[in-house]
Amino acid sequence: MAKNIRLVCTAAALVPLTVLAAACSSSSPSKGSGSSPNAASASGKQITETGSTLLFPLFGAWQNAYSTANPNITITSGSTGSGTGIADASQGLVNIGASDAYLSSSDIQSSPGLINIPLTVAALMINYNVPGVKKPLNLDGTVLAQIYKGKITNWNDPAIAKLNPGVSLPNLKIVTLHRADGSGSTFLFTSYMNAQDATDWPSSDVNTTITWPSVPGAAAETGSGAMVTTCGSTKGCIAYIGISYLSKTQPLGLGEASLANKSGKTVQPTHSTIATALASFDTNTPASGAQSLINTSAAGGYPIINYEYAMVKKSQPSAAEATALKAFLNWIVTTGNTSTYLEPVNFEPLPAPALTVAKNLINSISG
Amino acid sequence: MTASVPTAQPDGGAGSPPPRRLGRALKRRLTDGSPIRWLGRGGAVIPLLMLLFVLITLIIKAIPALEFAGPKFITGTRWNFGAPYGTPVTTNGLVHNAGESFGALPEILGTLATSAIALIIAIPVSIGAALVIVERLPRRLANYFGLFLELLAGIPSVIIGLWGALTFGPFIAHNVAPIISNNVPDWPGLSFFRGDTGNGQGLLTSGLILAIMVIPIIAATARDLIRGVPILPREGAIALGMSDFECARKVTLPWVGAGLVGAVVLGLGRALGETIAVAMVCGVALGSLPTNLYAAMITIAANLVQNIDTAILDKMDISAFAALALILLVITLLANIGARMLVRKVSGTALPVGRGL
Repeated sequence: MAKNIRLVCTAAALVPLTVLAAACSSSSPSKGSGSSPNAASASGKQITETGSTLLFPLFGAWQNAYSTANPNITITSGSTGSGTGIADASQGLVNIGASDAYLSSSDIQSSPGLINIPLTVAALMINYNVPGVKKPLNLDGTVLAQIYKGKITNWNDPAIAKLNPGVSLPNLKIVTLHRADGSGSTFLFTSYMNAQDATDWPSSDVNTTITWPSVPGAAAETGSGAMVTTCGSTKGCIAYIGISYLSKTQPLGLGEASLANKSGKTVQPTHSTIATALASFDTNTPASGAQSLINTSAAGGYPIINYEYAMVKKSQPSAAEATALKAFLNWIVTTGNTSTYLEPVNFEPLPAPALTVAKNLINSISG
Repeated sequence: MTASVPTAQPDGGAGSPPPRRLGRALKRRLTDGSPIRWLGRGGAVIPLLMLLFVLITLIIKAIPALEFAGPKFITGTRWNFGAPYGTPVTTNGLVHNAGESFGALPEILGTLATSAIALIIAIPVSIGAALVIVERLPRRLANYFGLFLELLAGIPSVIIGLWGALTFGPFIAHNVAPIISNNVPDWPGLSFFRGDTGNGQGLLTSGLILAIMVIPIIAATARDLIRGVPILPREGAIALGMSDFECARKVTLPWVGAGLVGAVVLGLGRALGETIAVAMVCGVALGSLPTNLYAAMITIAANLVQNIDTAILDKMDISAFAALALILLVITLLANIGARMLVRKVSGTALPVGRGL
């Protein structure tokens, strides 16, 4: 009996020691892909994803279809925001970090082995909850910047009226919504405002997380879903939400703004305007895949479109895992880019040059 | 752990014959007591080592950001992760994103202000509750109330945060804040209490949510302290014709005064470090000092948890986060050390310490 007590005591004393040892050994996590996400994953049976809430509705459809066709592969996904997706992928916590934003120069510097693979083409809407206004409102980067800086605070402001002749705008306070988490949508939205008006929205305020100007009543929301529900319940709100949530915003009565592109025309986000904008960019996709599709100069093009990216570590923990991952990504850019999957979320397929870039990047993954 | 080792000694393996020769030396080593004692000592030192380990790691990691921001880290109000998509710039030999700026004053003040609001509300409520439980309620009922207090302390903070974000915050913004905002007179010093009441994410909601989390800690401690006050002085006070209120104010509370201060500081420690609930209701307004009581704001802990995904990819950002963590650690350590010193002076009551009780 006493022996057992001693043994238990010894074991108990050893526990903090091992904890400390573990703490010490994990203090240098970015040393490479030595530690695999988990055992199941290393055998190539599991693919893990976190990231973009904009892509999430589509990724869910991909995930279902692919694991139905390949029952031996388990795919897990998490709607966490692009910032978390990039961070998780760079640390080797997941196989795929989904992001609406490509890797920044500082991301590439801190995680050299990370690549961004274009998966599909999405767009960002500017939604508003302004009762009584039936016709889509016209907005441009300058007015949006003024709104988010708190310089324009009411929907009947002359600057908004000037863009919308003939529309009777209500006397209603503007409530700006922005994302609280690291978000590719934030990156796209701030990129657009910067591209339209670099004086009102400087390039230092373009990021997945930015310091929003202090505006009374402004609210921070976590995830695209929260943007939709809060905007739906807040009269006078304005929000930037991925087009994949169109089927959720419309029943709530939210409008989608027509946005000014580089040529000054205001354009609704539709199948054809997104395709037009895409056509103006698609010939010069760089081999890295990182390309901004913001503020098209095509007159009929919608100005906030983007490639959805998979952030993937070039060297995966095992050959089996790399093979499974490559097969899944190849399926996404081919079968996954057909209208069956893209139509419900209003996305566009990758254009041919981007598809070639994507396939080359996928092929560069190794075990 | 260390204390239980010597008591296991008496009927040790000395009398029983060794089963096998081979394991004998090892067995003696294990049953001898001295290596176990050594292990026990090691175990006792480990918490200290862990604290030092955390402190030293934070300090080392924080150096670049502190060097970059200078004293502005504490006095500045502009917090910006900069533009990672632009070309990095070099200032004083340190490479960083263009536009990057670390001024943690709003976060430090936010941390202190939310805790202050929490205490202003929690102190009278908890002490009142403790007095009622001990002196007014029949014993059985008092036991149930005490149980509820402890259950309240055990609610995971994420649940309180969720409730705060979905229900409590909007209720405050639409039903409570306008009453305050519209009735506070328009005097120069009081403008902080007037103006836009926001949407329920902000300073007031964060403070109230923290108050809810702090009340059980202070109340449970105060209840134990007040229970320890002898009956005779109180009977004496009542015999002298004091009302219950006077008796509480003049006899009971002064009797446990220092202990109550300790209880309050324990609550403060919880409020300062509370992360997820505040992150869910504060509005995450990076780098802006709240313009009024209802405006969105941020605390150190909320910034750390909400923006770690962005910061983790950039060496300078993560360094700034280490510096923030260091500041928070120092503030909470000071609060906790203060609490220990005050409480130990007074009594040996079991104190509910720390998080997730």
